[in-house]
Amino acid sequence: MGAMTLLGWAFDGLVGTGLVWLAWRALSSPSLYAAVVLFVAFGLLLTLAWVRLNAPDVALAEAAIGAGLTGALLLGALARLRGSGARKASGAHADRPGARISAWPLAATATLAVVCGLAATLIFREPTTVGLGAEVTRNLPVSGVSNPVTAVLLNFRGYDTLLETGVLLLALIGARSFGPAIDYAPEPAPAGPVLEALARFLVPLAILVSGYLLWVGAYAPGGAFQAGAVLAALGVVLVLSGQGRGRMTAPGLAVRFLFVLGPAAFVIMAAATLALQGRLLEYPPAHAGVLILVLEAAATLSIGAILLALFAGSSFGKDNGTGP
Amino acid sequence: MTAGIVYALVGAVLFGLGLYALIVRPHLLRKIIALNVMGSGTFLMLVGTGRSGVGLPPDAVPQAMVITGIVVAVSATALALTLMLRLADETGRAELPGD
Amino acid sequence: MEAPWAQALILAPLAGAMSAFLWPHRARAIGLVTMLLLVMSVAGLGIQMARFGIYRHLVGGWAPPLGIELYADGLSLLLLAATAVVGAGVSVYAADYFRGHDAAHFWPLWLFLLAALDALFLSRDIFNIYVTLELLGLAAVALTGLGGGRDALGGAMRYLLATLLGSLLYLLGVAMLYHGFGALDIGVLALRIRPTPLVWATLGLMGAGLCLKTAVFPLHFWLPPAHANAPAPVSAALSGLVVKASLYVLLRMWIDVFGTVAAGASVLFGVLGAVAVLWGSLQALRQARLKLLVAYSTVAQIGYLFLAFPLGAASGWTAWGAVAYLALSHALAKAAMFLATGNLLRFGGHDRIADLDRVAQRLPLTTWAFALAGVSIMGLPPSGGFVGKWLLLQAALAQGRWGIAAVVVVGGLLAAAYVFRVLGHTFTQAPVPHEARPVPAHMQWAALLLAGGAVLLGFIAPFVLSMLRIGHPFAMWEAGS
Repeated sequence: MGAMTLLGWAFDGLVGTGLVWLAWRALSSPSLYAAVVLFVAFGLLLTLAWVRLNAPDVALAEAAIGAGLTGALLLGALARLRGSGARKASGAHADRPGARISAWPLAATATLAVVCGLAATLIFREPTTVGLGAEVTRNLPVSGVSNPVTAVLLNFRGYDTLLETGVLLLALIGARSFGPAIDYAPEPAPAGPVLEALARFLVPLAILVSGYLLWVGAYAPGGAFQAGAVLAALGVVLVLSGQGRGRMTAPGLAVRFLFVLGPAAFVIMAAATLALQGRLLEYPPAHAGVLILVLEAAATLSIGAILLALFAGSSFGKDNGTGP
Repeated sequence: MTAGIVYALVGAVLFGLGLYALIVRPHLLRKIIALNVMGSGTFLMLVGTGRSGVGLPPDAVPQAMVITGIVVAVSATALALTLMLRLADETGRAELPGD
Repeated sequence: MEAPWAQALILAPLAGAMSAFLWPHRARAIGLVTMLLLVMSVAGLGIQMARFGIYRHLVGGWAPPLGIELYADGLSLLLLAATAVVGAGVSVYAADYFRGHDAAHFWPLWLFLLAALDALFLSRDIFNIYVTLELLGLAAVALTGLGGGRDALGGAMRYLLATLLGSLLYLLGVAMLYHGFGALDIGVLALRIRPTPLVWATLGLMGAGLCLKTAVFPLHFWLPPAHANAPAPVSAALSGLVVKASLYVLLRMWIDVFGTVAAGASVLFGVLGAVAVLWGSLQALRQARLKLLVAYSTVAQIGYLFLAFPLGAASGWTAWGAVAYLALSHALAKAAMFLATGNLLRFGGHDRIADLDRVAQRLPLTTWAFALAGVSIMGLPPSGGFVGKWLLLQAALAQGRWGIAAVVVVGGLLAAAYVFRVLGHTFTQAPVPHEARPVPAHMQWAALLLAGGAVLLGFIAPFVLSMLRIGHPFAMWEAGS
């Protein structure tokens, strides 16, 4: 963290400019397909920005979830839009080129005001405030882990994470409630031998990587969200190659348990610590590490399953009529 | 980290770009992308402006907030996309009725 | 260990939501049992707070600014109580309204919404509030689109975009506050806040975001299509509770953090409130559909809440007490109105005001519900709405703010106009008589009891106001009252 070199400044300037350019192109290009691809590229460049900002946990999450899974969702939705017969006068590949709603003068003014205001307040800032970094560092030894981000997510501000796993589950339930059969994954071609071999190779590899990310998150960049995203990515590959789709579109009780596992583990832990320690989510310091690992393991499975289900099938009983 | 301020400013510009596109572009998929860009801009500002004292490791709280934010964003995106598809099924267009 | 009423308010609905998702055939029963638990917990918390004062709980054992604190004073308690009461009414109604697949989807979403509301009202951490706002928004959107159909889905989509934009503006404000003052806890921020350009910018951002979520004029465009086209019990929850949540956050941030250093902005809030009251009421008068009328009425009623902001500096307790009372009464009355409207919709198959075919005779309970709710909305004595408006008028007249007083009075007259317009049509015969479908008794009683509650609030004002005082939520503002 020494002095910023000229090279460093130049690099950051390049990344920053790239981000702005990619975003602008994604939002203004006439082709929706190009917009999504540009957005994924934007996400990957953003990953680089996080690395430059000394935030490797965020970089991992951005790459896997922000760019990867979001990109998959957007592409899948776009494909479904074209296939469903949403007709447009100008064809199925683009919205009306250059389409503008008449509110654009208002929008331009609002945007300019916001950006200028933000830039001004960023440039003229208080010299003396520091964030909570010192507090985190001071309490890290009793938190049960040595990765400060994991400590914040799972211990100091674990309540936020509890609610956040709830948000993820809620999104799944909500997406399924809008009606039957929204399935992004295209009809799979019969899986050739190469794909099958690849899938067979990928399954243990992905599980290994995911487990590693989960385990290492206690003392190095990683953690439940990143590990879960890797599992989801594995699932997406499997679904796209035609295997295992049925279980997501018509989830039985077992799969639903998997969805619920993460938030349920948090709620049970909260209730248990309340009963035993008198406070929500207060871990006894001797066992904090183990408890955090248990929560993270449950969360990993849940996050992986939910992210996959958001992509691969959002209805109950699509074909075989088994009700919810 | 003085480089942080560069990224924070980039974040502000991204927020503005996304806001403009959200209001002005009629197609729902593009609106959803715009919201994601705005979110990324906000996250950059969260981490870019964070400061620890000299010689201390980077502030973990904004980073944790951003990870939470990323998960919330993908949840919202998934819900929004499903709603968009359902709306397109009903009306034949992926745009807000009345735009 | 003290009884964990506050924690139950958050954990029980979360557990209930997950259980209802796991066992959809039992979803209704799980939902109703959880609702009962919530009502008991609020009562328990109220008793606890009446004895011991403010409730505080350090989650994880970490004190702010590092950790998150659960915090309940009089204001939080009253809003939690409103959530429980309106929630109970909506739950009973929904038990008969939704059947089969719809019910299996409704109950988990509804319980998540209740959990989000409770977590929000108990939170004192601005990022934690962001997460609860997102939980709340997504649940509300999913519930809005539950019936399907292009109007509901279009309303839900507009609502989703607006609520996500509001959340992002709010989160940007969180980033700025953390950047400027290094804390996320409202109590700590209140101590560290200073008048700087950063704070003004943050107030603008957060204020815009929260006003968008609360549908304050001119950022109200999403509310009528969403509230009018959602299923009736969902509309009741949206207008009754969900808009109050973002208002609560704005109120807290204003009272504890911003109001002391950026007092000039209160004038803007007052102006927007006045416009909302007048414009919303006029729009309500023009509507042909009952659900849209009720939705525009919500836009107007929210305006009243913002009229109090410019009065807060000099008449602290009276003005803020008025806001709390108006919010409570509106929650009950508007929920009752939407439930009653749902009954009318179920009965005749439509909600055209001009064609309400003698429902006064055929659905007396529902008509009474609408009438009583209307009494509170108009601000007639004795009702909760009357007490709220009375406090507001008192504060306005004490400061010589004739403009605000005039708006309150005119608003009341306009409200009377649209309420009586509806009631008038319930007595008349429609040109073409309609076939009637029966309305389950529970649905009618739920509407009536909620409306009765809104009126009852008028009778128990001293009790309610004494509960509001717990913890002195408006301590910094009480000098002038």
